[in-house]
Amino acid sequence: MAGKTIVVTSGKGGVGKTTTVANIGTVLAKKKHSVVMLDADIGLRNLDVVMGLENRIVYNLVDIIEGKCRKEQAMLRDRKLNNLFIIPAAQTREKDAVQPEQMKELCRQLAEEFDFVIIDCPAGIERGFKNAVAGAEIAIVVTTPEVSAIRDADRVIGLLEASLLKDIHLIVNRLNYRMVKKGDMMSTEDIVNLLSVPLLGVVPESEDVVISTNRGVPLVHDRGSKAGIAFQRIAARLNGESIPFDNGYGDGFLERFKRLFRG
Amino acid sequence: MQPSDTLPVQIKATRKGFTLIPDRDTPFAEILTYLERRLKESREFFQRSTVALDARNRAFGTDEILQIHRVLKDHGGASLAEVRLEEDLSFWLDTRNGGSPLDSKVSKSKQQDNAPLIVKHTCRSGMQIVAPSDCLILGDVNPGAEVLAMGDIIVFGNLRGVAHAGAGGNRSAKIWALSIEPNQIRIADLVAVPPRGNKPTPKRFEIAEIQNNLIEVITI
Repeated sequence: MAGKTIVVTSGKGGVGKTTTVANIGTVLAKKKHSVVMLDADIGLRNLDVVMGLENRIVYNLVDIIEGKCRKEQAMLRDRKLNNLFIIPAAQTREKDAVQPEQMKELCRQLAEEFDFVIIDCPAGIERGFKNAVAGAEIAIVVTTPEVSAIRDADRVIGLLEASLLKDIHLIVNRLNYRMVKKGDMMSTEDIVNLLSVPLLGVVPESEDVVISTNRGVPLVHDRGSKAGIAFQRIAARLNGESIPFDNGYGDGFLERFKRLFRG
Repeated sequence: MQPSDTLPVQIKATRKGFTLIPDRDTPFAEILTYLERRLKESREFFQRSTVALDARNRAFGTDEILQIHRVLKDHGGASLAEVRLEEDLSFWLDTRNGGSPLDSKVSKSKQQDNAPLIVKHTCRSGMQIVAPSDCLILGDVNPGAEVLAMGDIIVFGNLRGVAHAGAGGNRSAKIWALSIEPNQIRIADLVAVPPRGNKPTPKRFEIAEIQNNLIEVITI
């Protein structure tokens, strides 16, 4: 059976697409699935840095597409998990070095070998977006609780629907529960209401993300991190496990935590 | 040579004109160049004919439809009269022939000139909807989306984008929505921007109309 191809996209930059890809990929690999992560952000690659593999790159995505190497040669194995691979993007080329049809074919081939193919989409809605989306069956739209990010997410969802990709899920990243409570930040309900796509999970704002990105070790390896736990739950839902959203507040750890104290 | 079923655009002759059926996966630029070539090759064959664009398999942006319209006019002398979206949804660019469908398969109710355009989904950012008469939207209009109608606009959902009713200059046009909290609202030649700050939740629905040369939003 062919594996699932998932594109992680957002429209706006800097909302946490690459972090999401790295963490979901790592969790799924920990669950004994074979996973390959594809960095489609040609010219601005990041995924290799987040995974701490930048110094191992020899070949890249464009080399595979141009037939300069076999796809196995461009795959980098994760430092900890031997069933997790990444295919880095080319840094010295531009988005139009690749055609959507070529991406589609590559994704089809990868899906035959792997359980999950996760594509890291570049920001924007131009060629890079079209390339990244071409081969995917499932889309995860990442947004933060800011009007600008939500507006872009809305546009991206519209484009995905227009390209007949109907299996769309939402991740709300960097939610600050304290600010939501004070009414200074949009709540998950407001966002889901506006975008009207099913919610896959909520990731609380956390300093751990910056630390793990700089160290090149995905957050989910750190057991104490709340954001890491959020990603674990998101990946589990993606894996088909049914994990409830507690108290209608997404993954409201803080809420649960507070309940503990209140008794 | 490509097999005939993967041509960028299939051109079918119907009783009243031609129907263009674009291929789903071909990039838009390719469709356009192919169309241009075909029109040039066939010289005056398409002169003064009316053409329908079948967009049921492939989504087009408004700008893309206008580009096709232009290519047809410039290179073939033909006019793009109808765009078919879904079974029950079409709109006409050319109303000279009374808005009657080029293909009799399209439902009869649409033959009336003043039939409303019905949109059965949420209008997301970047979407533009242009209706030749009234426009009925079953869903929200999100920020960044634009709805333009010659007649009234009725939204069964929240109106948060831009709405322009009576775009042809009809000052008696109204905008109806379950909740009106738009970026901007226009009726005929007037423009209104909602006041800043939180507004009270509407009772059932809201209506925007022109009163004393100003756009007013009334809740009922």
